[in-house]
Amino acid sequence: MEKLYIEFKDWQNFLRGKLKEKRIYAPIKSENDIPFYEILNEKNLTDIVYDKARPVEPFKIFLFPFKEKVVPEIENFQEFVVLGVNSCDLKGIEILDKVFKEGEYKDPNYEKRKANILIISLDCKEPYPTCFCSLVGVNPYPSKDFDLNLSKIGNGFIVEIGSEEGLKFLDNDSRFYKANDTQIKILEEERERTIEKVKKINENFKIKEPENLKGMFHKEYWQKIEDIKNCVSCGSCTFNCPTCVCFLLEDISKNEIFKKVKIWDSCQFPGYARMASGATPRPSLFERYANRLLCKYWYMKENFKIFGCTGCGRCINGCIGKIDKRKVIDEVLVEKMKV
Amino acid sequence: MGKNIYKPIKCEVIENIKESPTINTIVLKPEEEFSFLAGQFASLSVPGVGEAPFTPSSSPFDKEKLEFTVMRVGRVTEKIHQLKKGDIVGVRGPYGKPYPLEKFKGKEVLLVGGGVGLAPIRALFLALVETYKDYKRIVFCCGARTPQDYIYKDKLFNEWQQLCEKIPLSFRITVDKKDENWKYMEGVVTVTLDNLDMDVKNSVCAVCGPPIMMKFTTLKLLEIGFLPENIYLSMERKMYCGVGHCRHCMIGDLFVCKDGPVFTYEELKDKPEIWV
Repeated sequence: MEKLYIEFKDWQNFLRGKLKEKRIYAPIKSENDIPFYEILNEKNLTDIVYDKARPVEPFKIFLFPFKEKVVPEIENFQEFVVLGVNSCDLKGIEILDKVFKEGEYKDPNYEKRKANILIISLDCKEPYPTCFCSLVGVNPYPSKDFDLNLSKIGNGFIVEIGSEEGLKFLDNDSRFYKANDTQIKILEEERERTIEKVKKINENFKIKEPENLKGMFHKEYWQKIEDIKNCVSCGSCTFNCPTCVCFLLEDISKNEIFKKVKIWDSCQFPGYARMASGATPRPSLFERYANRLLCKYWYMKENFKIFGCTGCGRCINGCIGKIDKRKVIDEVLVEKMKV
Repeated sequence: MGKNIYKPIKCEVIENIKESPTINTIVLKPEEEFSFLAGQFASLSVPGVGEAPFTPSSSPFDKEKLEFTVMRVGRVTEKIHQLKKGDIVGVRGPYGKPYPLEKFKGKEVLLVGGGVGLAPIRALFLALVETYKDYKRIVFCCGARTPQDYIYKDKLFNEWQQLCEKIPLSFRITVDKKDENWKYMEGVVTVTLDNLDMDVKNSVCAVCGPPIMMKFTTLKLLEIGFLPENIYLSMERKMYCGVGHCRHCMIGDLFVCKDGPVFTYEELKDKPEIWV
């Protein structure tokens, strides 16, 4: 893959030039430690966060919005650019693609919407205490599925070109020049260092093979785990997740003209799987909590041949009950040894 | 881009038949042809109210009309019961895998239906009757709470039983609680499985009914010697999309909408929460 380099100041000016023609979303510094996506403008352009890890929101919000019209399908999509997508979120797109695009049935909007988004991904530099991508086989830097990838090296960026559209975005601008061997060597070393950081953060967790959760649905594995009792069924873990795809369809038809909207749903809500009769397969809190983890590490693995977890850690960050999923998995696997 | 997967076909309501105090059959005329195979289901939408999955209860060979037998339990089914001739509803599908009739060939086929669970079994029964020469014989076991609760009374107690004289078919009919006019068996549906004179090891069985009935019927079938791979269960779950996207209907890693709704017990036995 071709690697270019651009000085920080030049990149900012280049991006400023792009503002006139493109709508760009980028992770902007917030009062919290973790940036939020905002629409880029002249003012916040200097507040883009390049040297941390993923933003608060998962990238899926751009491909699979909270609420959208599906009947009739959306006709026109606006083109836009998302800057600052991290490796864990790119991995999440693989799951979204498998659900909405690659199966026998295609979502009415997904593919068209995706075709209009240019992705500028970003290497992670400072993983958060909740990050665990290395435990699920994801690297903290992108290696595919982006149009451009940026990695902050010294006082500038190494820019990798991942697609024709990415190349076109650079407009043959002379401020980008071929990265030299020293810069590439630093890039490789920094990437190794970030992997080590993620490993260090997770050194006390025993989850080495999350697929060990396969078949682990029996009550005795889950009902004794104290932390699960802190779950308040808020659904934050599912809404924050780059691979949670559950939704419901609402009928808003009027006068015999069919109209439907698709809205996010969460398997953590007690009514999620409840049928009209009132019966539900998972009446207890711990069963619903278990369902999400089993879905990530067992069901999705069977369905799509990849984990439904990319190690982004948002479900841990966003948890009102302060449940650390990694700890729960460890404890469940210990229970398994006992039974 | 092909057809929108969520866009229903318009159907006109031809008739809304009261089957029992809680169950109606609506007869629809689709605006364009709607073909399905026995066991497959469709999503039925009442405009402005909502959508719910049902297995058609009419014969898959009937191309003119489409019937759904619906129990009144919630918001959407309440509205379905109120539909009148001429009203417009939407149907999309068919979804899921049908009963694998090729595997039934040359075998004795046992059908067990309880309550509104007779609906999908009816579609299967009508398909089997149409191709009866392919099977050794058909044994149809039916159950309901009381004689009043039986659906398809006109058919079951007349027309269908008359078929027994023409084709290798027999009925075993029960109610949980009989009344003074009842001339069949009494007891929950599993009583119809006592003293079955079938070559159980080589027979197939299709079961549909409320979860508790499905559970005890399956256990009984296993006990009398049916093989797990020959027991076909028609499963029910909360469902929205019908196409394997929304994940509401999952039983473990299986989608009821896409991998089912008909599963063999062999496929389900190691999955979580199968009896709800």
